[in-house]
Amino acid sequence: MNTLQEKYADRIETTLAKYPDKRSAVMALLYIAQEEYGWVSPEGIQDVAEVCDMDPTQVKSIAGFYTMYSERPKGRFWLQVCTDLPCALKGAEKFHHDLKEYLGVDEGGTSEDGMFTVEHVMCLAACDKAPLLQCNFHNYEHLDMEKMKVLLDQWRAEVNAQVNKS
Amino acid sequence: MSLNIIFREKDIPNIREFDVYSKNGGYEALKKALSQTRKQVIDEVKASNLRGRGGAGFPTGVKWSFIPQDNPINYVVVNADESETGTFKDRQIMENNPHQMIEGALICAYAIKAAAVYIYLRGEFWDVAHALDAEIARARKAGLFGPNGKLKDADGNPFKVDIFTHLGAGAYICGEETALLNSIEGKLGQPRVRPPFPANKGGGLYNEPTVVNNVETLANVPWIINNGAEEYKKIGVGSSSGTKIFCLSGHVKNPGNYELPFGVTFRQLLYDYGGGPLNGGEFKAILPSGGSGPILRVTDEVLDTPLTYDDLRKFNSILGSASVIVMDDTVDIVWVASKVTKFFKHESCGKCTPCREGTYWLDKVLDRILAGGGKESDVDLIMSVAKNMQPTTLCAFGEFAANPTIWTINVFPEEFKAWVDGSKKPAEEKAVARPARERVAAAAAPAGD
Amino acid sequence: MAEQKLVTITIDGKAYQVPAGENLVDAARNHADNQIPVFCYHPKMAPVGMCRMCLVEMGTPERDPNTREIVHDEDGNVKVRWMPKLQTACTQTVSDGMYIRTTTDQVADARNNVLEFLLTSHPLDCPVCDKGGECALQDLTMAHGPGKTRMVFSEKMHLDKIVPLGDLIVLDEERCIQCARCIRFQDEIVGDDVLAFHERGRTLRIITKSDPGFDTYFSGNTTDICPVGALTTVDFRFGARPWEMTSVPSIDPWDAAGSNISLDMRLDRDFGGRAMIKRVMPRQNEWVNEIWISDKVRFGHHFTRAEERICAPLLRNNGNLNEVSWTEALDTVAGVLKAANGDIGLIVGSGASNEDLWALRQVVNGLGSERLGAWPVTHTGGELIAQVGVGKGTNLGKLGKGDVVLIVASDIEEEVPIWRLRIKQAHDRGAAVIVANARKTRMDDFASHTFRYEAGKAAHWLADLKKSAPEAAEAVKSAANLIILTGAEGLTLEGHAALMQAAANLLIETGHVGKPNNGLLSTFPGANGVGQYYLGYTPEQSVAMAAKPPKVLLVAQADMLADDPSVAAWLDKVETIISFSMLPDGITAKFAKVVLPIQSFAERDGTFTNGERRVQRFYTAQGPMGWSLPLWQIANRLGEKLGQGKAKLSAAAVMKEIAASVPAFEGMDYRALSKVEKQYPDVGGASDSYYYSGTACKNTGGLGVVIPTAADKGETVKAGEVKLPAVPKAGKGEFVIIPSTRLYNREAQFKLSTVVHPRVMVPFAEINSADAAKLGITSGDVVQISANGGSVRVRANVNGGAPEGSVVLPRHLTDEPVPMAITVGQVSKV
Ligand SMILES: Cc1cc2nc3c(=O)[nH]c(=O)nc-3n(C[C@H](O)[C@H](O)[C@H](O)COP(=O)(O)O)c2cc1C
Ligand code: SF4
Ligand code: FES
Repeated sequence: MNTLQEKYADRIETTLAKYPDKRSAVMALLYIAQEEYGWVSPEGIQDVAEVCDMDPTQVKSIAGFYTMYSERPKGRFWLQVCTDLPCALKGAEKFHHDLKEYLGVDEGGTSEDGMFTVEHVMCLAACDKAPLLQCNFHNYEHLDMEKMKVLLDQWRAEVNAQVNKS
Repeated sequence: MSLNIIFREKDIPNIREFDVYSKNGGYEALKKALSQTRKQVIDEVKASNLRGRGGAGFPTGVKWSFIPQDNPINYVVVNADESETGTFKDRQIMENNPHQMIEGALICAYAIKAAAVYIYLRGEFWDVAHALDAEIARARKAGLFGPNGKLKDADGNPFKVDIFTHLGAGAYICGEETALLNSIEGKLGQPRVRPPFPANKGGGLYNEPTVVNNVETLANVPWIINNGAEEYKKIGVGSSSGTKIFCLSGHVKNPGNYELPFGVTFRQLLYDYGGGPLNGGEFKAILPSGGSGPILRVTDEVLDTPLTYDDLRKFNSILGSASVIVMDDTVDIVWVASKVTKFFKHESCGKCTPCREGTYWLDKVLDRILAGGGKESDVDLIMSVAKNMQPTTLCAFGEFAANPTIWTINVFPEEFKAWVDGSKKPAEEKAVARPARERVAAAAAPAGD
Repeated sequence: MAEQKLVTITIDGKAYQVPAGENLVDAARNHADNQIPVFCYHPKMAPVGMCRMCLVEMGTPERDPNTREIVHDEDGNVKVRWMPKLQTACTQTVSDGMYIRTTTDQVADARNNVLEFLLTSHPLDCPVCDKGGECALQDLTMAHGPGKTRMVFSEKMHLDKIVPLGDLIVLDEERCIQCARCIRFQDEIVGDDVLAFHERGRTLRIITKSDPGFDTYFSGNTTDICPVGALTTVDFRFGARPWEMTSVPSIDPWDAAGSNISLDMRLDRDFGGRAMIKRVMPRQNEWVNEIWISDKVRFGHHFTRAEERICAPLLRNNGNLNEVSWTEALDTVAGVLKAANGDIGLIVGSGASNEDLWALRQVVNGLGSERLGAWPVTHTGGELIAQVGVGKGTNLGKLGKGDVVLIVASDIEEEVPIWRLRIKQAHDRGAAVIVANARKTRMDDFASHTFRYEAGKAAHWLADLKKSAPEAAEAVKSAANLIILTGAEGLTLEGHAALMQAAANLLIETGHVGKPNNGLLSTFPGANGVGQYYLGYTPEQSVAMAAKPPKVLLVAQADMLADDPSVAAWLDKVETIISFSMLPDGITAKFAKVVLPIQSFAERDGTFTNGERRVQRFYTAQGPMGWSLPLWQIANRLGEKLGQGKAKLSAAAVMKEIAASVPAFEGMDYRALSKVEKQYPDVGGASDSYYYSGTACKNTGGLGVVIPTAADKGETVKAGEVKLPAVPKAGKGEFVIIPSTRLYNREAQFKLSTVVHPRVMVPFAEINSADAAKLGITSGDVVQISANGGSVRVRANVNGGAPEGSVVLPRHLTDEPVPMAITVGQVSKV
């Protein structure tokens, strides 16, 4: 029993039950691994490989193909700004640029406090709500820097509150 | 003019909830279909002229009829990958009226004798998927399908097909149906060689015959079964029957999804519904089918064209998934070409040579032009590279990827000329977006392991 | 086989009859001499249509919608409906009425364009690339490619140029053209998917994440099928340019498969300016190894030029071995032999060629002795092979649906890896593979059924198959073709004899003899284990000598002391030992009065008889080390000294004598053995390299000749009595010791392979968890295992691999010998 199997037994079981073949669960399990380790770490790859009865090479291959698996550690909040054409027409590129500048990070970089990773992404299928970003897979729409600052403060505060609690 | 076959939330609030959907005639179409023979159901869908809303416009009933009914296991796969630039209709359907799509998928499952339905959602639909799971669970619990399904089909057999969601994880190519199937199977999301086709043994999900349909396509089905093919054909024009959801984005005042009968014109869509140009400027260009379809120069003739599968052909363009991206006269078309090419370069799965190398090459030359270093021959070069890609790639992605170059050059040659003859120069500082995962040596970040 | 159905296809206006079901690329090449260029397609693997190099125009005849008649134009030509888009030929199976065009502008453009795309990110490494000269990309660019690149950028995409995928294979990411051949080889052919693509688009690249890295016995084959220089072996990397080397046909010297290989030779500074082996390549023989070889063959050749080689005759004086002339050495040996009065024994290892065996035998027989021992003493039953061995015309590559392969008492991947590879393929084609052993082996992964029996009781299990495994009995009975493959794992010599007899009986009773793809196979050790039987050597004779040692013992190419701890005791009783040896070993060090240096397989010619009784030639590739001579020649010269007749001038002459004297070899001569015929898939030579791109060498040295069995010749073969032996029983506090075979080990020759040496496992033994618990042992603990008068210290591996009450002890991992056959011993924690 590896870490994932121990901690996420139910979710893994429900996932496996969906398919006639264990290998099909690899994508869902990679999300779980990412949740557990904060990124798709070598341990995560190993755990998933064991559950899905695959060679770790194949799991790593899947993790590398899809952009929503992070193959390196990132900040607590993974901000993915859509800068694709429809959003760009609505000023998303500038928004993305300003956000990076505000946080002092380069593309794909993480803010010094380890809190925010900023990355641009392709169309998020919410073009009518541009500019927008996805933070840890939840959408925040119709943004501008003012709103953004509020959100950033709020997220930071949430984390601090949690840290203080524990 | 608007008629909400699919966006019924506009007429019935909260129809996304199982109870509300059920109270408003929900799942009656499924029951009706189950009382008919499979052939009757397929024939009805055939007769309705319903065509695939995923982009290719293939007749849905015909697709269903390809599935061998004597095969013990068939599958239905709902394509909810919705990754085409400027497309955001399936999201709204699933957020606001998910049961109608589920019901459509179940009707299909019955018609083709499927063992299960998989809904493939793009990974970014994380929240959508979880809400959908909850609604599926409610309907399953109500005994409409699944292991405890209480409904019986025409032969008196219990209807026990089950539905599962499968989340992707960020890959446009997984909208291509064979790549999608690979992705569900836990393999790389790269397209498969055809034949065999998904409908054939050996070509579908887990090698079994499979129907892949778009969310919007299936959401039409319950209406057709309830009201009949004849009624359906009364909506729309010619071979483009029914309504279509147009995803309107870009430089319009009111971007959004508009469900309208086929045949509405661009003018109506852009002005009556879209509210006209965003900043009071002039419309300059339209991408009628997201990034992948040829671009249109806005003219009166274009504005008055009815939006149907056939009418856009005369401009060498396509309706595709009807993701209408509108641009006003502030837009630099070469920038658009580069922007869209970057999308395709980022999304190329890398399986076949022309697409893998071609997108990379096109992007490089476009960057050079936009950096002010372009030569006249560069325009010929990218045209030729793009044209060399189109006949040689493994799947339609390669054709899509070449379109932005070919058609921006064809339709707006003067814009390219301005860049390469030096009359247009790059702005001092420009936040040119770079794909996150580009692995150029210069920018190589340390790998995680 | 059923008559092959033919279909008509039209290529560039000309009609051809081609076998139905054939791949279009193959059909065009085989029957129309039309070489459709390919990169990703490989005839041994399923097509994927990735590279797009093979695009052609394709069409079907137009038919009248009403009459379904084919429509003709005014000139009476068939009207063809050409598909609007080009199609990849590699993903097409020929079908009747298929029309293809390969010479149109459209096709030429497509080829040119695909090449241009491939070259956009390919580095201009050709002058320093190992593949330069046999590179598909280079060749095809010459034939179909653009004159020069239009992709002029100061920075091309740069990727890593040196990525070790494992200890043996290095990847150059920039050169990779993403054809996935390497990935598919590992997945489809080997069944171990340890390679994959990572990321996507232009950054797609090959990775491995298994631990240890790219670790299979077949990894080197990926460097052959890689159409470019992206994959190289650490052994050959930057070693030589292909055109500088001469290919010399040879045979795998390690195991019973007899893989056809080519020794690629070049004059080399590191070897005193003489020709040395720069690399070992597979040589196509569809009957034997197709186009694959194991890494042991590819990387195990270093001993042929090792400093450790014995380079001159040695004579013991006052306990020390001193170099002497051949004359003095041979005179001494002749004197010793004459003085023995016929009390002479001869033991020869399984790596000696047929010629060696024959020539040595003449010497001993000439002195009145018939004591010809085969070494090692593990496998027997050669006479059953001669009766009901796999029928002439057998090709493991043709087994499929309806056929059964029954593997008993063998760890086939470790013993004969190429057979494992080919049987795995048979399994994929639908053959039922049944694996029975006392423990789990790798082959279980590719088996349709697996069975376990008590260690030592393989013959008991098989002789009573109906009871012990009714499903297996049923499958065997109804098999279209049946091959029974035996090993000797967990068996005594008697145990193997009984197993062979039980297998022969089963084959005879179910009528699976005397036909191709039916019969008996065994994993005889070495390259010539079966040859030993045909030339009169038996392990039973070796056993007899141990019981009653001769006065003088000749030991040729057998590292006896490394093979069993009990050997030293009886060798001690021999008055004089003469050793014929390539490398120093226990015998040369402690026992031999005279040591005669012999040549390796690379320095001389000769023949081996493989497990399928195929007699195959190997050729002289490299100059001799020092004063060493071929074993047969030493024997001949000795014979001359003993007045037995003049020494032969060539190995060919020895073979002539064998053919004249031994019925099995009747009609064989070096010319017959060197015959080749066209093979499918047709790998072709260097000029055709772009087709399969340097996959393997063309077979130039001969496909070999198979010795027919009695059943093949229509003689009646009868079932015999199975003498079930007693099985070693462990007493209180004792364990059954099951010796096993590891492909990579520390045998004297293989130990000298500098590249593989680090990959040989640390000595270990598998212990059952229940036993381990009792003894307080956990994995990694050092344990002492004592048996047959010796003892070794190894690491315990508690993994459930060993049946309770026994330990599985791999042979030749330690410097101390471990038992050769199953026995009883003690185990204790150190
Ligand atoms: C590159 C590519 C991307 C595609 N993306 C989508 C998509 O996101 N959603 C979709 O429904 N169809 C997409 N398609 C079309 C599907 O392959 C398929 O034709 C469709 O799902 C069929 O459903 P329909 O007949 O209901 O339209 C895409 C096709 C290609 C070639
Ligand atoms: S390393 Fe060679 S065989 Fe493997 S994908 Fe690259 S080019 Fe093909
Ligand atoms: S696509 Fe046919 S050989 Fe590669």
